[in-house]
Amino acid sequence: MFKKKLVIVGVLLLVAIVPTPVLAHTPLCSCYEGGNDTVICEGGFSDGSSAAGVAVRVVNEDGKVIVKGKMDDFSEFVFDKPEGPYKVIFDAGPGHEVEIKGEEITE
Amino acid sequence: MKKAVLGLTAFILVATAAPAMAHFQMVYTPESALEKAGPIDLKLVFTHPFEAGHTMKMEKPERFFVVRKGRKKDLLDTLKPIQWTSLTNSAAAYEAEYRLRGMGDNVFCLVPSPYYEAQEDIYIQQMTKMVVNTAGFPTDWDAEVGLPAEIVPLDKPYALWTGNVFRGVVKSNGKPVPNAEIEVEYMNHRPLMAHNAFAQQAAVEAPQDAFVTMTIRADADGKFVFGIPRAGWWGFCALGVGPADEYKEKELSQDAVIWVQARDMK
Repeated sequence: MFKKKLVIVGVLLLVAIVPTPVLAHTPLCSCYEGGNDTVICEGGFSDGSSAAGVAVRVVNEDGKVIVKGKMDDFSEFVFDKPEGPYKVIFDAGPGHEVEIKGEEITE
Repeated sequence: MKKAVLGLTAFILVATAAPAMAHFQMVYTPESALEKAGPIDLKLVFTHPFEAGHTMKMEKPERFFVVRKGRKKDLLDTLKPIQWTSLTNSAAAYEAEYRLRGMGDNVFCLVPSPYYEAQEDIYIQQMTKMVVNTAGFPTDWDAEVGLPAEIVPLDKPYALWTGNVFRGVVKSNGKPVPNAEIEVEYMNHRPLMAHNAFAQQAAVEAPQDAFVTMTIRADADGKFVFGIPRAGWWGFCALGVGPADEYKEKELSQDAVIWVQARDMK
């Protein structure tokens, strides 16, 4: 009985610990104009880990989410360039967000 | 019997004397580790980089492409012919402008047309790799591109301090080449991008010929290690490792070249 509890605690510990090293790597995101009024954002982690599945949000001046999605298998996310000022948020978890201002996104 | 031995010795002397000339296919850009993506200039020159010596005429290459995140982009049509000036002559070479995108490793790969070397009566074809990284994000530097003759790096070619070792595996059609012969040269004269020429001034002086082209061997697994004594660009060329050995009824040497850039800790 005691052993079983230990195992459960061990498993919980593992679950708690395992995701941490991934988050410990710096999240990276880079965006550029992809032509035809699209914007391409590429994500990743400094150790080379893929960012596939990481959430991406595009917000306008008022902070309203105008585009929402996830990085694809190539750790890329493509969206139509918004009309006004905007900001891209690469959201790899709390404290691991990368923000890129629309005006910094060029060819 | 004695005559036969003499004859054989003479033949060996002649045969081994020839490859001492170290041809090096360059794929050059000044900076291999960039903070941000943007346009870069590339120069493709077939030369003797340590001495900035005799530069060979390049024909239109067979293939020129870049690989990033496992995706290949053909760049052959972006090549423009130029004349490159060495300290002793001037010869046909190529240049290209490429706009780097996003983050990661850009593995530039060149398969030149075989070059006829009259002095040795052979054709030389040096399949060359050069890696440019942006944002420090590693993606493709250690991947095998699949060239018939290829050096696969075990250390990032763009992230070397002076004094680090550079390791690589010599491959022929994907298989390691045991005991491969590898020539190593330092780019001793800075390429002047705007002038398509080597700088007159040499960075170092070689005490003797063995230091101009340094010859090393891979081990039984095709792996080699080289300690880098000075910042700058270093070229590694594994000789005659590719599968094809004949071109236009002459001997063909398919060599594998890779360039690495070291930086001082300061």
